[in-house]
Amino acid sequence: MRRCSQTLSILLLLFTSLYFSVALGATYPDRPIRLVVPFPPGGGVDIYARLVQPELAKQLGQPIVIENKAGAGGMIGTDQVAKAAPDGYTLAAGNIATFAMNAGVYKNMPYDPVKDLTPIIQTVMVPYVLVVNPSVPARSVKELIAYAKANPGKLMYGSSGNGSGQHMAAELFKSKTGTDMLHVPYKGVGAMVIDLMAGHVQLAIADLASLMPHVKSGKLRALAVCGAARSAEYPDLPTVIEAANLPGYETIGWQGIAAPAGLPKEVIKRLNEAFNKAQSELSVKEKLISTSLTPVGGAAEEFARYIQKETAKWAKVAKDINLTVE
Amino acid sequence: MDLIANLSLGFATALSLQNLLYAFIGCLLGTLIGVLPGIGPVATIAMLLPVTYGLNPTTALIMLAGIFYGAQYGGSTTAILVNLPGESSSVVTAIDGYQMARRGKAGTALFTAGFGSFFAGCIATLVLAAFAPQLAELAFNFGPADYFSLMVLGLVGAIILSSGSILKAICMILLGLLLGLAGTDVNSGLMRFTFGIPALFDGIDFVCVAMGLFGFAEVITNLSHKDKRETFTNKVSGLWPSMADFKRMLPAIFRGTTLGSILGILPGGGAVLSSFAAYTFEKKISAHADEFGKGAIEGVAGPESANNAAAQTSFIPLLTMGIPSNAVMALMVGAMTIHNIQPGPQVMQNNPELFWGLIASMWVGNLMLVILNLPMLGVWVKLLTIPYRFLYPAILVFCCIGVYSLNSNVANIYITAILSVFGYVLSKLGCEAAPMLLGFVLGPMMEEYFRRALILSQGSYATFFTNPISLSLLVATAILIAVMAFPSIKQKRQEAFQEE
Repeated sequence: MRRCSQTLSILLLLFTSLYFSVALGATYPDRPIRLVVPFPPGGGVDIYARLVQPELAKQLGQPIVIENKAGAGGMIGTDQVAKAAPDGYTLAAGNIATFAMNAGVYKNMPYDPVKDLTPIIQTVMVPYVLVVNPSVPARSVKELIAYAKANPGKLMYGSSGNGSGQHMAAELFKSKTGTDMLHVPYKGVGAMVIDLMAGHVQLAIADLASLMPHVKSGKLRALAVCGAARSAEYPDLPTVIEAANLPGYETIGWQGIAAPAGLPKEVIKRLNEAFNKAQSELSVKEKLISTSLTPVGGAAEEFARYIQKETAKWAKVAKDINLTVE
Repeated sequence: MDLIANLSLGFATALSLQNLLYAFIGCLLGTLIGVLPGIGPVATIAMLLPVTYGLNPTTALIMLAGIFYGAQYGGSTTAILVNLPGESSSVVTAIDGYQMARRGKAGTALFTAGFGSFFAGCIATLVLAAFAPQLAELAFNFGPADYFSLMVLGLVGAIILSSGSILKAICMILLGLLLGLAGTDVNSGLMRFTFGIPALFDGIDFVCVAMGLFGFAEVITNLSHKDKRETFTNKVSGLWPSMADFKRMLPAIFRGTTLGSILGILPGGGAVLSSFAAYTFEKKISAHADEFGKGAIEGVAGPESANNAAAQTSFIPLLTMGIPSNAVMALMVGAMTIHNIQPGPQVMQNNPELFWGLIASMWVGNLMLVILNLPMLGVWVKLLTIPYRFLYPAILVFCCIGVYSLNSNVANIYITAILSVFGYVLSKLGCEAAPMLLGFVLGPMMEEYFRRALILSQGSYATFFTNPISLSLLVATAILIAVMAFPSIKQKRQEAFQEE
């Protein structure tokens, strides 16, 4: 009798566990999904989330609720997702900073982007461009390097903040070229662009969308894009690598989606497919491209490898240039 | 005449049935969220952004802009009625507007705010239409050193904001400066006064401070006098201003509009200063200086016109350069890019119907707001007849929702709670919160510009004096200090203090 009940309970256990694993895969998602944007509304990550939201909801058959939990360079919102239940109902939208770069820059990071998160998909690339104020007598990257070497410490570059992608990109440029330029941090890219146009700072490396309108109007001069390949939008601009013969100078912003660590395989797959489909929908894709966000997509494993590579790369840059933020 | 051709194109766009409808929806929504304390336009615009995908870009922007200035409008309503400024611009309105309401002149105060805003909106829209490109250039001439000197002038002016003792006013400003220091330092990335609490990493939000020090503290103060708990019901006099009121109101509206139009153009914090500057100015030149702080009509008319004028001209950096001067403008940039319009200098050439249509719609929107709000005056004032046992809990609940929605963080509610106790203590000590709030708003900006100016000048302090704009602002500050130290005025201040 006793034995019988034991077998029964084991069987029951087996069945229930089987049932649940099947159920999670089959019925997920059965309630609304929270997509945490760890930045204030209006920024690049927010724009991506809001562009993809309607199509994503259609793909998953559940409403997608976007929550802006801004603060501490995106770390507050991302940390909350990292500590949430890995059930697929709490996701983080993020970028190069929250998923990779900050780990190398901040001394007290509340989460580990590699260990505490499950990467879902790399969504878009955000190409960077190197621009100067027209008062700088340099028409190419080579001339800029020569000018900076002839006038050490005289050129000043602006960035959207201490430890930001723009700051790191410029510091990497300095260390690769052996030039000496002064860093002037701003709160956000908007304020920096004004001072750049007015000539208070002379150069900057920032995203295409923020800078190119002013290049077109003649207030700024673009010298090169910072990716590995030329931009499809501006094919006339050389890359820094080819223009100045600087192999390995590749800085490109990116965005992605992640969930708490330990997310079941089926859920990762379901989410990855949904995001891939949603962002390759023609209307969504066109809008992404028009906001200078280049769609990437791909498998979750690829994104995981990419995050590991980027985290290691920027940790080394931060260490080389001796940059830490408490 | 280019201007007339452009404006007629603009009005042709703005007056289409669809655009009129969306401008109306925007204004209505904006007024509603403005009236609800703490719920700001940023969250609303962010939520509505996806709704606008299907609209054509001009219509979308017209609606979003309507939300923005509608909220400005609605915000002054709560500031006047229940002493709850939802935005930095309505802090000043609360000072005299709330006192007017307490004296039974809530209707007059609301009318003044509405009329002033409308007038300022009309003029500033014309300024925007006529001089936008030239004015944009002006912003370029304003460097970090100049901004710093402008902030210094603003802070010294803050002393005049208070009607009590100068010493207390200075202390409150310093306290505000200190409170503003909490958070991450822009230059070094170091944390200051954050005690390892992530919610403090970006500093304390303005809305928390304003809600705590003004609204919540006011509720506590009113609850504490048990016997003479205030009711406005029996002393609401006429809704409409008298002839004498008009005579005092109109010149203040003119001056406020001028100041606001100029300051709004500066993307680095000019708009924030506009209402404070207008108040200071009115108080200095008024023949009724002693009434300020106790319900002077100029104290509502000047700042309200100034902040609405600044709200309109703050579109100049956005439309001509694609540079957002505040969070709402940043969302508008997002909305433009989503609609495949590159914000920037090209907008005016490539999308003239959008540029001029938006400008014309601002005028239409301002008119709508007046039509929408004037008949509502009676309704708003009726709100005050609600018994406090219903009104206060409702205010507290809405404030908590608003404060939480800033960035979906519960910590903001705790911060507001702590600040409200602090605000109660301050009011018991007879210290005024307005100078502190100005210190809080200006302090961090001032430090940022000061240090940036020094980085750019390679550490030379001379930059503040060799720069003509900066120098003249500092000279103006020195004159202001001299005027304050001047005996006759000091006496006047003391008289005012003794009356209390």
